[in-house]
Amino acid sequence: MAQLFDEWAAALARGEQPDPLDFIRRAGAGADELARLMDRFLRARPRAEPDPELVDLARGWIAGTAPLAQLRARQRLRQDDVVDLVLDEFDLAPAKRATVKRHYQRLESGQLDPARLSRPLVGFLARALKTSVPTIVSWRPRPLEAAPAYRAVPTAAAAEPLLHAASVTREPVDDDDEVRALFIATL
Amino acid sequence: MHDARDAEDALLLEHGDHGALIAAYHDVVVQRCLVATRGDSGYDVAQNVFVRLLQELERGKTYAAPYRVVVHKVVDWTLKEHFAGGSTELPLAEGWDAADPADPYAEIDAGDLDTLWAGLPDGDRDVLDLRYVRGLEIEQIAGRLGKKRNAVDQALHRAHTRLRAVIAGG
Repeated sequence: MAQLFDEWAAALARGEQPDPLDFIRRAGAGADELARLMDRFLRARPRAEPDPELVDLARGWIAGTAPLAQLRARQRLRQDDVVDLVLDEFDLAPAKRATVKRHYQRLESGQLDPARLSRPLVGFLARALKTSVPTIVSWRPRPLEAAPAYRAVPTAAAAEPLLHAASVTREPVDDDDEVRALFIATL
Repeated sequence: MHDARDAEDALLLEHGDHGALIAAYHDVVVQRCLVATRGDSGYDVAQNVFVRLLQELERGKTYAAPYRVVVHKVVDWTLKEHFAGGSTELPLAEGWDAADPADPYAEIDAGDLDTLWAGLPDGDRDVLDLRYVRGLEIEQIAGRLGKKRNAVDQALHRAHTRLRAVIAGG
């Protein structure tokens, strides 16, 4: 348990975003104690200096721009480009393009929970958007009712339709099993 | 240990740089919410913490306590509502931070790493600083401090024992 705490706390200090759930799971019977140690340490630890790209992401989030759209725009990719990359990476039939696009749009707009993405897909998106898995999973669009009435959109690529950026819903969106398994992994 | 960051936060608040503030606390909020919920619902709770923090900032609310203390209190409050089965999507209630009228921030404000490692020898604190603030590997710490690896391991062991005692003491 002490080793798990040490690994996790050192990873935090290196500026990584370690998954605390993974460490807690590995602690077995010591999970409760490890969780308490982690929480106490998180309260005590001085905050880190944020990465400038993270600051940009937060400013965009405040302005009402979907974080995933910002990350995509930063790489000068359109939604269609990402969809094509996903089709190619996972060897999906061209006939499934529309389904993939609908899922991706719902993911970007906050209608799909990024924490439910399959590991292969979230890992691929992180590589394609040159970011980290935790960044994709932990940033969700700001709810519309809380966003400014006039939101600033920094680039044309990020200005693609933001559907309903309210709280994440977990409704099934399409019935293609292969695509669904990528975007909505079984818990 | 917190003084420099508190001063930076005060400047960000003064300049209305809410993005920098949210970014600065993003990781710690997400980590705390995941640790507390033990599942992916922690991401939802964390999102609502950010929304609540921002709502307060945009309302121009000011605080007597350092902003980090406010962040941790909003995390505590939102987690409490989550576990009580309430909606954490709603704005914070007026007076949300008045749980302890005598000094609502005392516990968090006093709880920095210096307090956590109180009673440990200075040499151990140097090891802890290199490991848990700067993120060095054990061998690097040994080299930097001119210690044997075993001595570094022992310092870490004493720190973990100390931390567990703090937790056990409530």
